[in-house]
Amino acid sequence: MKCEEIAGLLPDYLQEGLGAEQKKIVERHLESCVQCNEVAGLWKKLALIPDEQPSAAGRERFEAMLHAYQTGRGEEGSTRRVAADSGKSGWSVFQWLRSPVGAVAWSIALVALGTYLGMQIGAAKSGSQDLAAMHTELTNMRQMVALSMLQQQSASQRLEGVSWTRREGQLDPQVLSALMHTLRYDQSVDVRLAALDALSRHAGQPQVKQTVVDALQEQQSPLVQVALIDQLVEWRDAEAAPRLEKLRETPNLNTTVRQRADWAISKLN
Amino acid sequence: MQGQDAGRENDPRMQSETDEELMLQVRDGAGETLGVLFDRYHTPLYNFYAKLTGDRTLSEDLVQEVFLRILRHRNTFRMGTPFRAWIYQIARNARIDHFRKSRPEVAFEPEMAPAVAQGDPAQQQQESELLHRALMELPEEKRELLVLCRFQELPYEEVARLVGCGVSTVKVRIHRALQELREVFHQLQAAPAGSAQRNTRQNIPPRRIGHEV
Repeated sequence: MKCEEIAGLLPDYLQEGLGAEQKKIVERHLESCVQCNEVAGLWKKLALIPDEQPSAAGRERFEAMLHAYQTGRGEEGSTRRVAADSGKSGWSVFQWLRSPVGAVAWSIALVALGTYLGMQIGAAKSGSQDLAAMHTELTNMRQMVALSMLQQQSASQRLEGVSWTRREGQLDPQVLSALMHTLRYDQSVDVRLAALDALSRHAGQPQVKQTVVDALQEQQSPLVQVALIDQLVEWRDAEAAPRLEKLRETPNLNTTVRQRADWAISKLN
Repeated sequence: MQGQDAGRENDPRMQSETDEELMLQVRDGAGETLGVLFDRYHTPLYNFYAKLTGDRTLSEDLVQEVFLRILRHRNTFRMGTPFRAWIYQIARNARIDHFRKSRPEVAFEPEMAPAVAQGDPAQQQQESELLHRALMELPEEKRELLVLCRFQELPYEEVARLVGCGVSTVKVRIHRALQELREVFHQLQAAPAGSAQRNTRQNIPPRRIGHEV
């Protein structure tokens, strides 16, 4: 047998992994081939290099490392546990309130509370301090629900959030700000249109008018652009005329939007 | 694999448990059980490193690093994983990471040659030294294969998984490593002592594979 063929068997021979027959073949070859014999011999001779004993200090180092690690872990673990426990309850409640299920639960609770209050107000027909306080609380809760729903993933829930804001005469600055943000940046055209509709009731707030005017340039959807123009006309906001002029100069502007802007300019001037 | 150190090895309950059983206990929070595994693997791991690097201090440091990594990553140990394969994977990675930071300068130094057992004839001592020298001059990958298969006595299948190749590839490489060892050994025999230093440029640590531990 040739050396190349033996090469395939030799490693197994060295680890004593060959059957009796193959072992004999290899051994016969080794008797006649000096080179292969030397290779096999070296494998055996490697055993001449004895194992060394590591120093005893290694065990002590290991003990020290283990002790330090366990002490560190213990302290770190207890700190983490405290942090996790304190954070967990607050976080999960917050998450739950923001979830769709939480929003529905809020809605049901508020309807129940509203019914109860309505009955109470109807019966009393007077504004006692308690009722005023409850009314304020109800308003705050509605606005919280609106705020929470405006931040939902689903467009229909954001739409519902916008409709919640319509139930209030006076909006909390935070809710108003969220609504203006929705008008400018919400992904859904429907939600933006609904936000504009909700904002139309708050023209008394200077920042609302400003947002609508600014949105004119930012919005790309012709539907929203037309709605914004109509809103400005409805408000008879003469200061918006120069912005409308600027809008109609925009290249590639939708024809309907341009015509609507022309119409609005003529109305406002 | 049984170590020679005393200590927890004397506890008959611990002694009868397999490496995997002990490691599962470590994973589940019984950190002190790692001492038994340390006693079992301290010497083999030390020799794995000593034969690869030729540096005793570094070998001691790397053994400690392996056990620290085991503690840090104990949660990654899964039931059914052979512990020996797992610890050698960690050992390889620890060495590769070490040499990634500082290039190895492997060269044989006479004091690295371990004392041959008493009673050995002088010729055998000389042959052992020469062979050790030849081994240290092999490229890193070949040296590692010989150390794993010959000194650590790992079967080819286990080594194949460890280095990330097929079993037949391991066998071919082992044969080539032995052939090269033979050549170097002859060169060293022919050359006067200290003058046959081969270039060790090829001593590039093998690439990391497998677990991120």
